[in-house]
Amino acid sequence: MTGALWTATWAVFAREFKLALRERAEWMQPLVFYVLVVLMFGLATAPGDPALRTFAPAIIWVGALLAALMGLERMFRADLEDGTLEQLLLAPVPLAPLVAAKILSRWCVSGAPLVVLGPVLAVALGLAGVPISVLVAGLLLGTPTLMLIGAFAAALTVAVPRAGVLLPVLVLPLMAPVVVFGAGAVRAAGQGLPAAAPLYFLAAELVLAAVLIPWAAAAALRNALE
Amino acid sequence: MWTWFHRLASPPSFYVFAGRLAPWLLGAALVLLAVGAYGGLVLAPPDYQQGDAFRIIYVHVPAAWMSLFAYTVMAVAAFIALVWRLKLAEVAVVAAAPVGASFTALALVSGMLWGKPMWGAWWVWDARLTSELVLLFLYLGVVALNTAIEEPRAAARACSLLAVVGFVNVPIVHYSVVWWNSLHQGSTVFRLGGPTITWNMLWPMLVCMLGFTLFFGYTQLVRMRSELLMRERTTRWVKTLVANA
Amino acid sequence: MMTRRRRRLAAVSVLVLGVGAAAALALTAFNKNITYFYTPTDLYEQHITSHAVMDLGGLVQKGSIVHGAGMEISFIVTDCTRTIPVRYTGVLPDLFRDGQGVVATGRLNGDGSFVASRILAKHDSSYMPENVAARVKQADAEGRRNCGEFKSMQPTSASVAPLVRAEKHG
Repeated sequence: MTGALWTATWAVFAREFKLALRERAEWMQPLVFYVLVVLMFGLATAPGDPALRTFAPAIIWVGALLAALMGLERMFRADLEDGTLEQLLLAPVPLAPLVAAKILSRWCVSGAPLVVLGPVLAVALGLAGVPISVLVAGLLLGTPTLMLIGAFAAALTVAVPRAGVLLPVLVLPLMAPVVVFGAGAVRAAGQGLPAAAPLYFLAAELVLAAVLIPWAAAAALRNALE
Repeated sequence: MWTWFHRLASPPSFYVFAGRLAPWLLGAALVLLAVGAYGGLVLAPPDYQQGDAFRIIYVHVPAAWMSLFAYTVMAVAAFIALVWRLKLAEVAVVAAAPVGASFTALALVSGMLWGKPMWGAWWVWDARLTSELVLLFLYLGVVALNTAIEEPRAAARACSLLAVVGFVNVPIVHYSVVWWNSLHQGSTVFRLGGPTITWNMLWPMLVCMLGFTLFFGYTQLVRMRSELLMRERTTRWVKTLVANA
Repeated sequence: MMTRRRRRLAAVSVLVLGVGAAAALALTAFNKNITYFYTPTDLYEQHITSHAVMDLGGLVQKGSIVHGAGMEISFIVTDCTRTIPVRYTGVLPDLFRDGQGVVATGRLNGDGSFVASRILAKHDSSYMPENVAARVKQADAEGRRNCGEFKSMQPTSASVAPLVRAEKHG
């Protein structure tokens, strides 16, 4: 049984990963969107405006949050439409680990690139003084949490025909702490203040979300299909 | 005792029971609110620092208390709805969310009206204010989710999941002033070492808090009743009820 | 073969472990403290000399307020352990007075003083009528009682000791 669980979880992860990579638009679009949104702030402010540096941590984090929202609606919808979701529900293994595998694969495809892009965009916004390690550590701890929370909301609304507007309403209050601590860490580091505390908070949120959300999302999917 | 409880959990008997109880709750709430308002606005002495402006605590603190209490009620009902699939608990979740959101909004607005003259700012992004704002959005999320899903029972269970996950925020709101440095003051009533408010200022606040709580109980019963009627409109007991009316 | 009970046991242990780990991480973070404002002790002990905009919280030291020309004012902010002189020009909230809690937004100056661009008043959590307040004030002439609302990060033994004494005193 334990073996079967690993096999099934790995199979779901591999399938999701392959599908996402083949569908190039799926993982390219959020990244392009992320870069464009962040650069728009640079275009919208006066050249060399020092205020942009002040806001850079917020811009980078809100941009990452918006990018994480992209394509969220389709996360479980596609599986619902082609019957994959029903197969997963009928599988003789618990649903929660399978959902966790799906979320992890989504992070690998469209979350990890955000972590890589973060420092590049930080330089583009003139945030040169910040230790890159703080920014990367924050994104590394924060983006999986964003993906987890997003997946929970996507599971809740899987059967709702037009969830496009509803999703941000559900997701943003739960994501708020991630942005507060993520941007807070970068800001603190940029001002030469200690940044360890917000990073620890991000880690705490990640662990809490990783434990609770696959279970909650699985329950939401089961509920939607009943 | 248990059989009585089981019978009460069935929609028709709850409908009747709630109908009888609701007016009493409303009456008691109105009396308490009147006494609390008189005690707070007339009998309580002005504060040594804030003068008469402190009297907004007789609205602000009960509203803030209710924002947490209503969420706790909603989360407990949600847990029951998820584990035992009790229809009544599902209805309680859906009924509590808009009322809780209103209390939260009242707490935020009264706090802003108080903060401007006393602190010198309408709003600051400290831990207490931010987490209370998140609480408001969590309530609104439950309301939005409930309206978005058409099948009422599926909607209620989805709302229950969201309510349970969002419950993480409740202790954060309460302990935010203990854990973090905030502009918002620390706890006055629920704190180690007893309240830091004199009795003649405290009792009207406690009366108001009880009044708010009973009023929430009243709205909860009334809203659950109408929600039940809507959900059970095809059942025989509703049809008999309507036929006899 | 995993029985239903064993599976449930596994799920519960993952849950307990996860929540425990999250709590431990959060407690570590609280220990390092994340603040809406810094106290003078924080600024001193963390050797924070950054010229960035930040918030400073503490009590206005009794008798330290000096009014300058126009709306200029200077006073000393204390958390009963360390002090920092503050300069400010502008409108003050009604509650601003000797011994009052304040949160000042501004930046540290090169000379170790703090130049504020905004001052907010932080009132404590006690409410009492004037006559009671007079008695309390007599017993707590230095206003140490109010320092409890200003928590410093990672309190070292040196910074805790005076506060503990003050509590006994009050």
